[in-house]
Amino acid sequence: MRLRIGFLAPTAILMAITMLAPLAIIVVYSLLTRGAYGGVELPWTIENFTRLWDPVYGIIFVRSFWIAAVATALCLVLGFPLAMFIARSGSRKNLYLSLVILPFWTSFLIRTYAWMFLLRDTGIINSALQALRIIREPLPLLYNDGAVILGLVYGFLPFMVLPLYATLERLDPALLEAAADLGARPWDTLVRVTLPLCAPGIRAGAILVFVPCLGTYLTSDLLGGSKTVLIGNLVQNQFTASRDWPFGAALSLALMAIAMVLLFAVRRRGEELL
Amino acid sequence: MNRRAFLLGTTASAAACSRGPRLNIFNWSDYVAPDTVSNFEREVGVRVRYGTYESIPEMLAKVMSGNSGWDVIFPSAEYIQPMRDMGLLARLNHDWLPNLGNLDRQFQQPPWDPGLDWCVPYMHGATGIVYQKALGWTPRAWSDLWDARLAGKLTMLDDPPEVFAACLKTLGYSLNSADPSQLKAAQQRAIAQKPLVRAYLNAEVRDQLVAGDVAAAQAWAVTAAQAIAAAPDKLAFSFPSEGFPRYADNVAILRESTRMESAHRFINYLLRPRVAAAIVETTRTAACNGAAQQYLPEALRSDPVLFPPAEILARGEWFAPQSAAGQRLRDRLWTEIKT
Amino acid sequence: MKRGLAVYAVFAYAFLHVPLLILAIFSFNSSKFAVWESFSLQWYRAVAADANLIESSVNSLIIAVVATVVATIIGTLAAYGLWKRGSQWLSGSLYLSLVTPEIVTGASLLALFQWIFRFAHLRLGMHTVILAHVGFSLAYVVVVVLARLRSYDPTLEEAALDLGATEFGAFWRVTLPYLGPAIAAAAMLAFTVSIDDYVITSLVAGVDSQTLPMVIYAMARRGVNPALNAVSTLVVFGLGMLIILSERLRKT
Repeated sequence: MRLRIGFLAPTAILMAITMLAPLAIIVVYSLLTRGAYGGVELPWTIENFTRLWDPVYGIIFVRSFWIAAVATALCLVLGFPLAMFIARSGSRKNLYLSLVILPFWTSFLIRTYAWMFLLRDTGIINSALQALRIIREPLPLLYNDGAVILGLVYGFLPFMVLPLYATLERLDPALLEAAADLGARPWDTLVRVTLPLCAPGIRAGAILVFVPCLGTYLTSDLLGGSKTVLIGNLVQNQFTASRDWPFGAALSLALMAIAMVLLFAVRRRGEELL
Repeated sequence: MNRRAFLLGTTASAAACSRGPRLNIFNWSDYVAPDTVSNFEREVGVRVRYGTYESIPEMLAKVMSGNSGWDVIFPSAEYIQPMRDMGLLARLNHDWLPNLGNLDRQFQQPPWDPGLDWCVPYMHGATGIVYQKALGWTPRAWSDLWDARLAGKLTMLDDPPEVFAACLKTLGYSLNSADPSQLKAAQQRAIAQKPLVRAYLNAEVRDQLVAGDVAAAQAWAVTAAQAIAAAPDKLAFSFPSEGFPRYADNVAILRESTRMESAHRFINYLLRPRVAAAIVETTRTAACNGAAQQYLPEALRSDPVLFPPAEILARGEWFAPQSAAGQRLRDRLWTEIKT
Repeated sequence: MKRGLAVYAVFAYAFLHVPLLILAIFSFNSSKFAVWESFSLQWYRAVAADANLIESSVNSLIIAVVATVVATIIGTLAAYGLWKRGSQWLSGSLYLSLVTPEIVTGASLLALFQWIFRFAHLRLGMHTVILAHVGFSLAYVVVVVLARLRSYDPTLEEAALDLGATEFGAFWRVTLPYLGPAIAAAAMLAFTVSIDDYVITSLVAGVDSQTLPMVIYAMARRGVNPALNAVSTLVVFGLGMLIILSERLRKT
């Protein structure tokens, strides 16, 4: 028993410092008034929360959740086969795994600019398609929701692949052979044997993709042309250009509350949060 | 790990924490020439730590505590008075700034600090319209940016004060307006324009202009100058006829600084004509340093984007600090525009 | 099925690496803009001459390595503890750290540090950055390792205990090896989020702790700069070589 508490202690301490204390500060900030040039000052107020009832923010929240959900689903669909491939590649597992994550050790900003370069009207994709005479006018590949989702999927794919791999790797091929022996076709084996067994991995990947996607701002700024506001942009704005930290804090708390509700909703009875 | 690596490591760390005098300078990125800082270091014998920021709120967040470690900063004009009120700035000692006379006449008593007690103007510019000459017509006013011919090939700045400024000017109001009815009218104009807008871009629009993806853009003069320099036969710039925003960045010293003398020496160094001229050549911004003009190449000196004639500049309006209520309203309206 | 997966994998890897290829190609371009002019190494020379860039890269590496090691170790321990015993508030706070937008984490950490520094004579610096990085990496490590633990058979440890092992011995010799792949994946993830973090780092970094993302963001916001392409290509190439090398070593 002591052992397990000892195991939890370092994380607990760190969380207290880097998460809970700042959270307390955020709660305090959300109840104060904005300082004229950033920061906060008295008096206490709940105005920041009453402001949230404005339908504008409702629209923003819904749109952000929708985009995050689509991106997560795509990551799952695209990442699952890749994770399976890596898990089954025997001795080269680590190599393939590293190759997945290698691009992400370069700057996210630069990679996004590379995508913008590819997707532009005068970019490579459009130029190639026009040269092959498949299209006549350049396709508007950039500065829309589709580009944002592409950017999100690209940016978060490893966050889905790695947890999936962590559970798929453990999958005993004998189980699959047994299923095949019993007459199951590959699709059935997939749905009824593989998927349930790696459910924790799917869940972990979904959390690691969906949740950060909610707070993303750079992708929609760069690939979306900054034309739509998502929660991430809104919060980012409050802490930078608008200098309204209390409102940003309130927004952030609202986001956290909704995300917690979601997590509780998808949790099975009796199971842990994570 | 061998001896050589160890020696390299120790010398590196020794150099890093050298006991010599230091100066910590916090500036916008891309705002000095490559050798500006190193020349200063060599001449004065001070080691400079040069950090950069991308926005004033970012800089403010770090220096507001009064314990950030930075000495010299570069606030924009509309932040001088607020920062002074917050007690963040140190009073400048003119005895240590003999080069002050090099400033251009219009900046020797700027509206935001007439006595130059708190800051020294550094670089200035304006916002206007960059456009492709291939358009066939010249956008001369902000209202031209609402022209349907630009649909899908127009960009505006992703900067609420700038977009509001353009909209307010098309309606004939001051760009610093805090009047709710005026701001709401401006917001309506922005919403009307949104279907035509390809994207809201800041300095990134430069490459798109050069590549030809964008036909017209609301842009800062420095971005425009850089774009035109890269594609002089394709692009041109105009100062809108209804009026336009002017901005100026200034050098200031933080009150927390313990290196007043070195800081003043750096400011004095920046006021040298040749130093300022080198910076202008590299960054293509207009210096507030009048004496630097003679050291600029002819092409830059007569660049209409950087140094427009006085009649045009007279149409410009400086940004002023916003009240808290005004700022709140603007934020709310901006969010609605973007949603 | 295996062949189908392999074909898919090729496309997937292409999707992941094509932007990198573009960056690499244009890092050798003599022109500043996105039109090919001629082959040139000038951008690499510019990178080598930029002391700021090199110093910030070193800073980033140090921070990422330290933060990864610390976060992986205590995160694995925490995942094990959560699996065995569970703790709603610890799970909750880990989850919250994932939900919180980066700017909020950064701004609140900055406020916390600045408040603490009124009493202690400290400043922002590498230590605050590393602390922040460990803080936000922990959740990633815990989630990944815990996922693997959820499909782990507890009776294996019980069997070890029956055979006379201590509690810690059972963990160390039975469970930990099982967790190996998950720990490797978690460490990679932690390293990734650390080495490319901009928002939080820029807020809690001190005067002397500039990191590579901070320098890159400053350079990139102005538009195309092939020196950045050169930096990316160097990073990918360098780390890629490291990976291939470790594969070779492992096989021998």
